[in-house]
Amino acid sequence: MHELGVAMEIYRISRDAVAGHGAGRLESVRVAVGELRAVDPELIKFAWQATVAGGPDAGSELIVDWHPAVQRCETCGADKARDTAGWLPLCPDCASPLRVDGGLELDVLQVSYLREEEERAVSGGVG
Amino acid sequence: MAEIVDVRRSILEANEAAATQVRGQLARALVVNLISSPGSGKTSLLEATMPAIKDSLSLAVIEGDIATDRDAQRLRALGVPAVQILTGGACHLDARQVLKVLAEGHFQAPDVLFIENVGNLICPTSYDLGEDFKVALLSVTEGDDKPFKYPAIFATAQVTVITKVDLLPYVTFDLDAVKAQMRSLNPTGSILLTSARTGQGLDQWIGMLRSSLDAKRRAPA
Ligand SMILES: Nc1nc2c(ncn2[C@@H]2O[C@H](COP(=O)(O)OP(=O)(O)O)[C@@H](O)[C@H]2O)c(=O)[nH]1
Ligand SMILES: [Mg+2]
Ligand SMILES: [Zn+2]
Repeated sequence: MHELGVAMEIYRISRDAVAGHGAGRLESVRVAVGELRAVDPELIKFAWQATVAGGPDAGSELIVDWHPAVQRCETCGADKARDTAGWLPLCPDCASPLRVDGGLELDVLQVSYLREEEERAVSGGVG
Repeated sequence: MAEIVDVRRSILEANEAAATQVRGQLARALVVNLISSPGSGKTSLLEATMPAIKDSLSLAVIEGDIATDRDAQRLRALGVPAVQILTGGACHLDARQVLKVLAEGHFQAPDVLFIENVGNLICPTSYDLGEDFKVALLSVTEGDDKPFKYPAIFATAQVTVITKVDLLPYVTFDLDAVKAQMRSLNPTGSILLTSARTGQGLDQWIGMLRSSLDAKRRAPA
């Protein structure tokens, strides 16, 4: 529901991260998103396109590394397979209560940046 | 060749920095962030709590709503300073809004600050407001399947309050089913049962608030 605000923060951080790198444009930004963070992986990509549209980074890609939460059994000490977005009430193997772990990621991991000079060099233009 | 820049920064870093400032400013206050769907009884629980503690503790309330200052008015009517934040459509409060309210000086540093978040079980979960803990409210009319449907909030809240228990005779709500889901999502969290209508469970709720405040003040800074 608040994907647009999240996308704007990603954009601010990404631009800040390349601030000392000379003129250029973002090619892609890689983020980690955990299942329990209330950020939908598809909606956040739409929100990203809306955020960069019409600006110097229009067309850049947001790459989402999705991190599902896991349900772990303390008794058998293993992660239990669960359906997407479904939760197991008890351990299917030993009926113990399961612990929910992980799924809390929400980070900008990496920015791929195309500097203007390099782009000119690649396209064979003269400076 | 594109240049790859490693970043590794939290997307919510601006909110987190503000939350740290809130914690610094309210180091001697208990700060409670109340989260539930609209109508679960957040304001009613606060209304029922105030008369019992306002003589012995100084209180303040921050109300987050999309529109209207009705909830702040309800609490002001009880003689408690209450500041309304209007989010204008935003689905959660942000720590920067809390920091702004603190800077405006509506109240002196209270013993307990209640923050009633925007009615929403999803989005407020990720935003640290500088609270000591989150409280999730679930009213018995909402259904007993909600912890697994909204796992993030029920896994994150240190306290879950099942509200409107006076209505239990009239609805199908399996308390054991809720407890089983909570054991899985949040094995160290506590569950309280309250009714703002009859007063049931308010002693435990208030006892929990008092002992949390005491524990915070006793803990080395
Ligand atoms: N029967 C009953 N109704 C309640 C209780 N608490 C709240 N309500 C009603 O539920 C509705 C929503 O309550 P409110 O406190 O405004 O919910 P909020 O949106 O979470 O702040 C109101 O009509 C209240 O009168 C309760 O303990 N018992
Ligand atoms: Mg309310
Ligand atoms: Zn097991």
